[in-house]
Amino acid sequence: MRKSIVVLILVCFWACKTDKSQGESSDLSDWSMVETQGQNQSINMMMWKGDPKINAYMSDYVLPKIKSKYGIDVNIVSGQGSMIVQSLMTELQANKSESEIDLVWINGETFYQLRQIDALYGPWTSELPNAEFIDFDNPFIGKDFQQDIDGYELPWGNVQMTLIYDQAKIKNPPQNKVELLDFVKTHPGQFTFDNHFTGLTFLKSLLISFAENPDELYGDFDEVTYQKYSQQLWEYINKLKPYLWQNGEVFPENVAQMHQLFASGEIWFSMSNNDSEVDNKISEGLFPKSARAYVPDFGSIQNSHYLGIPKLSKHKAAAMLVANFMISAEAQSHKSKPEVWGDGSVLDIENLPENQKQHFENIAKRQYAPPRSELNQKALMELNPEYMIRLAEDFRTKIINP
Amino acid sequence: MKLKVYPILIKLLFWLLIVLPVVAGLGYALSYSLGLTGLLSKGFTLEYWQKALTTQSLWASFLYSLSIGIISVFISLCFAVSMALSWNKSIQQGRLSYFIFLPLCFPATVMAFVVLQWLSPSGWFSRIAFELGFINSLNAFPNLVRDFYGFGIIVCSVLLITPFFTILMSNIYKNENLLHLENLSKTLGASTAKTLKRVTLPILFQKSKMTLLLFVIFVMGSYEVPLILGRQYPQMVSVAIVQKIQKFNLNDIPLGFAMSVLYVILVVLVLMVLGKPSRKYLKPHFK
Amino acid sequence: MMSKVLKYIYVLAVVFPLVFLLGLSLAQQWQFPEILPQQWTFQHWGKSLFQEGDILKSLFLSLGLSLTLASLVSVLAFFISKFIAYSKYRQIYMRLTLVPYILSPVVLAVIFQYYFTLANLSGNFIGVLIAQLFFALPFGIVIFNNFWNNKLKSIEQLSFTLGASSRQSLLKVIIPLSKPAIVLCFFQSFLVSWFEYGLTQFIGLGKVKTLTVMVFNFINEANLFYAALACVLLVLPPIVLLYMNKKVLILAR
Repeated sequence: MRKSIVVLILVCFWACKTDKSQGESSDLSDWSMVETQGQNQSINMMMWKGDPKINAYMSDYVLPKIKSKYGIDVNIVSGQGSMIVQSLMTELQANKSESEIDLVWINGETFYQLRQIDALYGPWTSELPNAEFIDFDNPFIGKDFQQDIDGYELPWGNVQMTLIYDQAKIKNPPQNKVELLDFVKTHPGQFTFDNHFTGLTFLKSLLISFAENPDELYGDFDEVTYQKYSQQLWEYINKLKPYLWQNGEVFPENVAQMHQLFASGEIWFSMSNNDSEVDNKISEGLFPKSARAYVPDFGSIQNSHYLGIPKLSKHKAAAMLVANFMISAEAQSHKSKPEVWGDGSVLDIENLPENQKQHFENIAKRQYAPPRSELNQKALMELNPEYMIRLAEDFRTKIINP
Repeated sequence: MKLKVYPILIKLLFWLLIVLPVVAGLGYALSYSLGLTGLLSKGFTLEYWQKALTTQSLWASFLYSLSIGIISVFISLCFAVSMALSWNKSIQQGRLSYFIFLPLCFPATVMAFVVLQWLSPSGWFSRIAFELGFINSLNAFPNLVRDFYGFGIIVCSVLLITPFFTILMSNIYKNENLLHLENLSKTLGASTAKTLKRVTLPILFQKSKMTLLLFVIFVMGSYEVPLILGRQYPQMVSVAIVQKIQKFNLNDIPLGFAMSVLYVILVVLVLMVLGKPSRKYLKPHFK
Repeated sequence: MMSKVLKYIYVLAVVFPLVFLLGLSLAQQWQFPEILPQQWTFQHWGKSLFQEGDILKSLFLSLGLSLTLASLVSVLAFFISKFIAYSKYRQIYMRLTLVPYILSPVVLAVIFQYYFTLANLSGNFIGVLIAQLFFALPFGIVIFNNFWNNKLKSIEQLSFTLGASSRQSLLKVIIPLSKPAIVLCFFQSFLVSWFEYGLTQFIGLGKVKTLTVMVFNFINEANLFYAALACVLLVLPPIVLLYMNKKVLILAR
């Protein structure tokens, strides 16, 4: 008995051994240096792991490719925005010389907070050969929540928020605020939004819809403007509240939970920051085939998501190699296939060299969500992160716990 | 000399492994909550403490956790005592004993997951109610998880604690020779009900009250269960603390640390006032 | 008769969660209001155990972590508790021990995290092991606490009187006598570590993917079939322990 336990322990130690390769020195301005320094290392990437498709894209496509191309091992660690900020913040505070994390998947308020505490390495994105083809002129890509990205984060994908409904249950989904209110009144308990990014993004599009001109809310955070429109927003939400799921006393904690509720038939609407989500989830078998995505007339927010490298990372060259691959035409086009992930590409496809352009040809169109060109017409810009932080705070104090 | 080094070494280990971590952690949390540490700190301030002590949500979350702890322990106690008294022999030995122990194999996480899959409006019980025609849509099913009264959390805690209590009660019953005392009381003319009320229950309670108190504290501090079965308001203490430290607003972090200091102090106070450490303790694995 | 029926009901109620989880782990589609899943599959099990091996890896990691921790706690708690039990200040020591014992591990993790980062211990196996030690050790000490009594002390004294060295006395007398307590402590601390989530997630930064961490990852993905599968794996080792010796699951003396 005792022997077997000892043997087991040894086996387990062996099974979970970690190898730490040495970090590199400083000069990363020359790409050939980056290529030589970055190879054959192992790095940690922290990202949101809340979607099986995205996880599969990373583990079945990106990781093997990178391993065979550069010999880099990427260990993917689960953790989104706040967790990334908190971990990097503690490291800075503890005066660590080396970060546990080498690459992070971020945007908006995480980027804002990481810049606030100066936790990001940069500028680095212009070093990447593949960055040449990124459509930086597109304000939905070149600006992140109204902030200049300044080379501190690299655009990776672009998406637009959509509402998801079940065609079999709803013939004409509500297109504006009045219709939405009418809808929840006649169908109490069927609508809700989550208490996290997705729900907040929905709240932001509503907030913008109260302004006569969205430009009023674009740019830096403005207290007066916020007060003016948020007051109208909360009045409206309070009108909806009694007719929301669970009488608006509880909200799903995250988007995955909301999808689960939608899939089991508990609610009739879900929503997603990824416009291809509905195709993904139908192909996974989670959503019924009658699910459809749409953008109401008041529009929805389109934004990009990015990759960042922590300042204290000891494997910056390797992280840059990985990032460069992730924005290659090959990886971007694969990512944009609806059956893979359906994430919008950040590349300026029209201006790609012919041999790279071909990657984007013959990609099957998605079936259940409107085409991007149609969504683009209703696209709203992201607001300054301060708006989101305030909305989150006020949502808690004014709606969840009044 | 070996003999002299040994006690010092052990003492050192004790202070190093038991006392130091808590004191150091508390010190850090305290200094953070006073604005002395932290990347965004602006020097000493009582602002966060003032905010922490005056916001209603903090006290709500303490009170909420405490009442959930007390209610769960009380319900479990009722189940445990009735099972221990009526099935006393088969709990100690025989095939049933394995089944008494079986729920102990369930970690809090798993139990909470199971309860969620059972009690949520699209859960298993709701499906059965639907098939039997008790409800005509899943929205007619009552809110049993993520509800205001913490019903789901209580159910889950009761499922987790009851086996511990059953075994505890059954052991006390055996060790204190309660069967003998009961017979004596009946010989002296007391009715069965009176014997239960005057002899059995008081002894069981007397012998287990410290453990009961500890369990209230354990349930109060539970994290996984309310994370899965709880809702955004009111929140259990652990969940509230972690959320303050990890959500959108960086300025909330000192507040989270103030809350954790407060929680530690409250628990330690309870322990110092009421704790008699020589007792036998039991601890569930569900925190 | 009534009592017998109740007993059967109880047994059913206790076994049912297990069956339920197993069923869920074999399901593929399960929409309201179906009572049983519409489609069954062995795919999840095949995938996670043989193809991708993510869950299998976690299983070994968890086993490694918990077994190491249990050994460590058993040894340390044995000596420390002995020291406490025979000390003049037993009461004070025990009270101090109880503080980390009853605090919520995740709150401990919150207030420890800075130091772990400082010492390069966050996000790795050793760090999680040490963090778990900080609250599992008090647990072990509490288990041993009742074990050291006057009878045992006089036996130890006797062995000295009979000319045994302190080493001989320990190896030949005390340890054999304390075997049940050591076993109990070992399995108990194994379970504490096996069941732990909050602290592991916080100190391990999600990088130390124990089974409980995996369960939560699956729940967060709303991937309930895989969550159920991981739950089954999480419950099995304790059931094996139970079968081996039911006393190890609880302090029953």
